[in-house]
Amino acid sequence: MKKPLQSTPLRVEISDIDLNPGPFCMSFNFSLEQLKSSIERFGVLNAPYVIKGSDSRYTVVAGYRRLLAIRELGWPEVLCHVLPGNFPPLEALLLNLHDNIIHRKMNEIEKAMVLERLNRYVKQEALMKEFMPMLGIPANKQNLDILLQVPELEEQLRISIATQRISLRVAGLMMTLNSHDRLKINELFTVLKLSFNQQWEVIQWIVEIASREGRPPKEILEDDALTEIVHDSTMSNPIKSKTIVKMLRRRRFPSLVKAENAFKKGVSKLALPKGVKIIPPPFFENRNYRLEIGFSQGKDLQEKVEGLSRLPGLEQITDFWKGTD
Amino acid sequence: MQEFRIRRVLIEKGAENDSLTEKILKRLPDVPREAVDPYATALPQGTAEMDKESLRLMNFKGEFLKPCPGTKKYICCGYQILNVGINCPMDCSYCFLQSYMNQPSLRIYTNLEQKLEMIGDYIDKAQDKIFRVGTGEFTDSLALDDLTGWTEFLLPFFSHRKNCILELKTKASSVQSLLKSRYRERIVVAWSLNTSRVIAQEERRTAPLEERILAAQKCQKDGFLVAFHFDPLIFSSKWEEGLEEAVELLDRYIDPKSVIWISLGSFRYMPSLKWAIKRRFPRTNIFDGEFVTGLDGKFRYFKPIRIDMYSKIAARLIQWHDDLGIYLCMESRDVWEQSLGWAPDTSTGLSGFLDNRVRKLMGERLELNGL
Repeated sequence: MKKPLQSTPLRVEISDIDLNPGPFCMSFNFSLEQLKSSIERFGVLNAPYVIKGSDSRYTVVAGYRRLLAIRELGWPEVLCHVLPGNFPPLEALLLNLHDNIIHRKMNEIEKAMVLERLNRYVKQEALMKEFMPMLGIPANKQNLDILLQVPELEEQLRISIATQRISLRVAGLMMTLNSHDRLKINELFTVLKLSFNQQWEVIQWIVEIASREGRPPKEILEDDALTEIVHDSTMSNPIKSKTIVKMLRRRRFPSLVKAENAFKKGVSKLALPKGVKIIPPPFFENRNYRLEIGFSQGKDLQEKVEGLSRLPGLEQITDFWKGTD
Repeated sequence: MQEFRIRRVLIEKGAENDSLTEKILKRLPDVPREAVDPYATALPQGTAEMDKESLRLMNFKGEFLKPCPGTKKYICCGYQILNVGINCPMDCSYCFLQSYMNQPSLRIYTNLEQKLEMIGDYIDKAQDKIFRVGTGEFTDSLALDDLTGWTEFLLPFFSHRKNCILELKTKASSVQSLLKSRYRERIVVAWSLNTSRVIAQEERRTAPLEERILAAQKCQKDGFLVAFHFDPLIFSSKWEEGLEEAVELLDRYIDPKSVIWISLGSFRYMPSLKWAIKRRFPRTNIFDGEFVTGLDGKFRYFKPIRIDMYSKIAARLIQWHDDLGIYLCMESRDVWEQSLGWAPDTSTGLSGFLDNRVRKLMGERLELNGL
């Protein structure tokens, strides 16, 4: 059986505790209001753990939020468990991790903080094998590399990740950009509320348009037409998103979009019966088109097939996409 | 000549007594050596992820001669890969090995020489077939030749077979070992060509364009058949002038009559490769073009862009000489027809076309015409 934790209960003055996020902190983007009202009503149910440093100041091991709430409530002191000064840092980190993991759901930034701190003491193989599954993160090197860098990102971006406005995968892509560019993209995503998949595509498009045009990504983001849409108060956010995605796609894939439009134009001239569609091969890569007929009953199908067979110009269907849009 | 620095030699258990191991170690007397377990792949801290400065000598357990997997959805050339090793001391940003390989270091298969007899038997038994064999799929055929001495034993081996040719594909300009050899028959030396800009920006530690073509000239003058591969073609606003320069250099230095074939292929990649490349070469602009998902799941340039590139370069090459054996690598019938004005029906058709090139350029003197 593991030896019980050796700590000394002691009333510690709040002013003696360093309340900057310290080496064991794994809290980010939280509100103290609920915790404050709980503490006001019932007091501190679980005493925080601290370590006394050589300068007589205390470093928080576990209970960072509780201590911040107490400070905000204006209490002068609180009962703490004081750990011995030689308490191993890895043990302190694990103590806090276990304290957190059983009480609450951590956001992605907090999980990244855990891994980044553990990385100082534990091999990456162990992080993947033991700690990433514990934190509910798919254990692979790519995820780990992103998570280890995430704590270095700008606060606005960390907030976007913590609030799940952007995914970790998208954050990984943003890390390849400079600070100014990624903050600009973060601003855009804050307004547009794109799905993670759309965000993933949009970032790549912006970077690749910029690379092709020999300009920094920020210039693509500061483009007049795009800015105008972002600030257009008459457009709803979903419409803004759709318009901007379409605009960027057209700029990223000019030949493809031109072909798609030419195809649509060509098909529209056929006057197909209602519920009948001609579906092109993906990206026009092969030459096999498909015909889709929506119908409710056999009679309906028969009418549509007969209508189709009488349709003028059907036999002259060609690669419409090669025309002009 | 491009020299590649080898900082350590790793000798896998089982490879110690292979003939190639002995030869390589003699050529690297001062390089630190280490015996390693075949399953030990951890890299020392600070080693680059593909570890292109370590030579790992290993006894290869897989098949040495295998058909190029190509792709079922496009027309392929029916080339046979001779596995001599994997990984390359050159460092091209677009290299597929970056996502294909899951183990680091320059891996040399030291039991190749011992296996040649078996490979020879296999080739000899299929007398009705022409084997177009190459060593340039997973490594550069010549870049490590000074160390491995591949050409010393592969040239005599293939020169003496009736129904095969060996194509050595390279981006190097060092051809001394070839020129020293007395074997020419059934050997094709091929250079991968690109624009000077792509070579400078994307093909690290390779020979410049003109040096490659000058090396081809030396080989051609010394009796070798040569081939060229414009692959991967990378679209940019200046690709046409870049390729014009390459064709002008060919025109200046190469006799087109003994060019066995020229292939054209555009940059294509599996989705996972993009991230491997972006991680290693964040500033590359090889992804600037309009890529769409192809029939085989690889990203390729949108079809009209590929057709435009192929047809322009093919027209320019045909202007140089109208019998160059131009073919497309992994393309559809549709793209062939629109780019070159004809198309083989299937991959078998393309194999037949290339076999005919072998017969035409080597046939009479090698008695291949009956095959």
